[in-house]
Amino acid sequence: MRRYLLGRLLRTIPVVFGVVTVVFLLIHLLPGDPVEIMLGESAVPAQKEELRRELRLDRPILSQYASFLAGIPRGDLGVSFRSREPVLGEIARRIPATVLLAATSITVAVFVALPLGVLAAMRRGKAADYLSGFAAMLSLSIPNFLLGPLLVLLFSVQLGLLPVSGYGAGRPLVLPAITLGTGMAALLTRMVRATLLEELRKEYVTAAIARGLPYRSAVARHALRNALVPVVTALGLSFGAVLAGSVITETIFSWPGIGRLLIQAIDARDYPLVQGCVLVIALSTVAVNLATDILCARLDPRIRYE
Amino acid sequence: MLLQRHGRVLLLLVLVSACAQKLPIDEGRMVIALPGAPVNVDPRVATDAYGEQILQMTHASLVGRDDAGEPVPDLAQRWESPDPLTYLFHLRPGLRFHDGRPLTSADVRYTFTWILDSANRSPHRGVYRHVAAIETPDPRTVVFRLSEPFAPFLSTMVRGIVPAGSPARGYAPPVGAGPYKIDDVSPDGEAVLSAFDGYYGGPPAIRAVTVKFVPDSNVRFLELKMGSVNFALNGVDPDLLPAASLPRRLVVEEGPGGNVTYLGFNLRDRALSDARVRRAIALAIDRETIVRTIWKGRADLVSSILPPGSWAHDPALPVVPFDPARARRLLDEAGFPDPDGDGPLPRLRLTYKTSQNEVRRRVATVIQEQLRQVGIAVEIQSLEWGTFFSDIKMGNFQICSLTWVGIADPDIFHHAFHSRSAPPDGANRGGYSDAEVDRLTEAARREPSREKRRETYRRVQRILARDLPVFPLWAGRNLLVRDRRLAGFLLTPDESYAPVRAMRIVPDSATPSTGGPR
Repeated sequence: MRRYLLGRLLRTIPVVFGVVTVVFLLIHLLPGDPVEIMLGESAVPAQKEELRRELRLDRPILSQYASFLAGIPRGDLGVSFRSREPVLGEIARRIPATVLLAATSITVAVFVALPLGVLAAMRRGKAADYLSGFAAMLSLSIPNFLLGPLLVLLFSVQLGLLPVSGYGAGRPLVLPAITLGTGMAALLTRMVRATLLEELRKEYVTAAIARGLPYRSAVARHALRNALVPVVTALGLSFGAVLAGSVITETIFSWPGIGRLLIQAIDARDYPLVQGCVLVIALSTVAVNLATDILCARLDPRIRYE
Repeated sequence: MLLQRHGRVLLLLVLVSACAQKLPIDEGRMVIALPGAPVNVDPRVATDAYGEQILQMTHASLVGRDDAGEPVPDLAQRWESPDPLTYLFHLRPGLRFHDGRPLTSADVRYTFTWILDSANRSPHRGVYRHVAAIETPDPRTVVFRLSEPFAPFLSTMVRGIVPAGSPARGYAPPVGAGPYKIDDVSPDGEAVLSAFDGYYGGPPAIRAVTVKFVPDSNVRFLELKMGSVNFALNGVDPDLLPAASLPRRLVVEEGPGGNVTYLGFNLRDRALSDARVRRAIALAIDRETIVRTIWKGRADLVSSILPPGSWAHDPALPVVPFDPARARRLLDEAGFPDPDGDGPLPRLRLTYKTSQNEVRRRVATVIQEQLRQVGIAVEIQSLEWGTFFSDIKMGNFQICSLTWVGIADPDIFHHAFHSRSAPPDGANRGGYSDAEVDRLTEAARREPSREKRRETYRRVQRILARDLPVFPLWAGRNLLVRDRRLAGFLLTPDESYAPVRAMRIVPDSATPSTGGPR
């Protein structure tokens, strides 16, 4: 297990390295000068040059890249151009909001998808199956930027039950979590249904039922457990999609998370902050995928740590 | 039956929830929505509009600004300029900061010395490059000595004063001496302000103000409808404001705006270097139709980049009419005849760059069609702001659409049209050059007499109206949506939040008319 973990961790290094390199190059290739954006047009050229030197933007790009990489092991991601705060602090201030939102939306998705998917599989070809399929297709077809305002219209403006925007673990969290989790719930519902149907067709389920095990127990105790392996894998893979979706959801609901920070950083051409945000997002995606693999191995003993 | 029972439960839930929810205004709290979060709230370094707007409520300056951009007393009770190189400011007696410390001339000197210190990297340093020395002969007098005459100097004194020794601490803003003190600022969340009882002008009537940072315009509108936000200045898309959809609780006010949208021409381009081509483009654009259809009438046509409310604006400037026939004649004269009559071939092809703002893109599409009518084929390039503005500053454009925001002094003409003001030294992005404009704008910034400056700038505006290095289109009107119980706000062209200090909450029955449409 330890060897497996170490091996997996080592294999993530080139992935993260590749991501930060591509992002570093892309953000530097984008037109737009951070010094101009910071100082505005009233600044005199000498002042701009001075700031360029101070931010080390006058150095060759390879040298800037080397400094960035050298800082990572020390936890030094540089200082934000726009706020003059350490990048790590800027990100740390936003991480709780994004983690709260992502975790809640994933939880919502799982709690909706599991019963719906199981129900659809067990009632295959019946009304419940068609209804769940229709709901899933509808949810997948509505983009976040439309679903968010629609939910606000219904639950905040019409019913007055929930706040339109804001940050908090209680009522302000409900609508953003549903907005972000709906797409994933739809996807997972279809996956649970499909994988469970496949398991239900297998002989061990028939044998279990033949031996007198009630159908529901055969599904819950045996088939569902095996059906969950690909679902958990999909869940891990969709974590990246949740983070991507959080960029829009956080903007709609004024949620002070890392997605919104990343957008602001790109607008301001705040290179260290963009690089820092992407590094943290890449690392967390890799970590979640690693955790997913371990969970899959726990669920299915046939998967070995190799 | 089941549905009926559940329906009743739901209705009861909604009613209970509605009854239980008190709006912020019921508790005496004003909630302002801003479209974005400030990067910081420190008058020495803040450059973004959102930071400046909060500072207008929290940090008092030596001088303020009235509707026409004229300096008015703020912390300085009065001032004098014995010669063009010297400005004396006399502070009011008994001034105090939010933390109780007295505000003296030493704090004023510290604030500006801090900005001028290159080690502090203040983006405002360039604005004060004419300041040679700051003296404090006594605690209530500050003397600014300039290295050369600089007539717009007073307008640069609208800068919040902070206590001597205040470090720049990222998100923790330094205290000020404005009508509201900052209790808390959460990045990307909100700023919580409370009334400052020691304010020299008396404590503001509204004791609690929250500034919410809400980036999505639909959500801002919905927050207003719900009452969780009760004040939004230019925060709502005019398309969302058909009166019927607004609750009775809200009122809409309009006032002249100070942000002028214009078409910029690149005069280095072969076709656009000809003033006849630029005039033909201007004549081919039906601005009134665009304002009526896209802006829903909420913009005023202009003939200068200086807002109509400015003291130096020339009201006698000729208005460019919509005259496509004359535009075609001018294009013929300029050597761009129609190659195939009613056929598809254009007289000339131009690229029109704009940002990704939805309204600007719609405007670009209409202009594209209007120019097609006179034989000019326009390709629209809608770019992300950073890329767009970088292109414009590098001169990589033919026509662009931009807006001048917050023009405080007519010295803008030196910044935007002097031949030595090409980027990075200024904002003459189109490469305009005219010896007379150079001479006049240089003279005006050295001229102490306000009357003489006004006359000089009017001459500059007449030359620019003749040459059309840019085509000023319109000034968007300021649009305020507020709870009708929030009274006493004076809508100014520069979108200032300073008048918040004069506001009060009145009973609903009073339904006051405050600033009102002007």
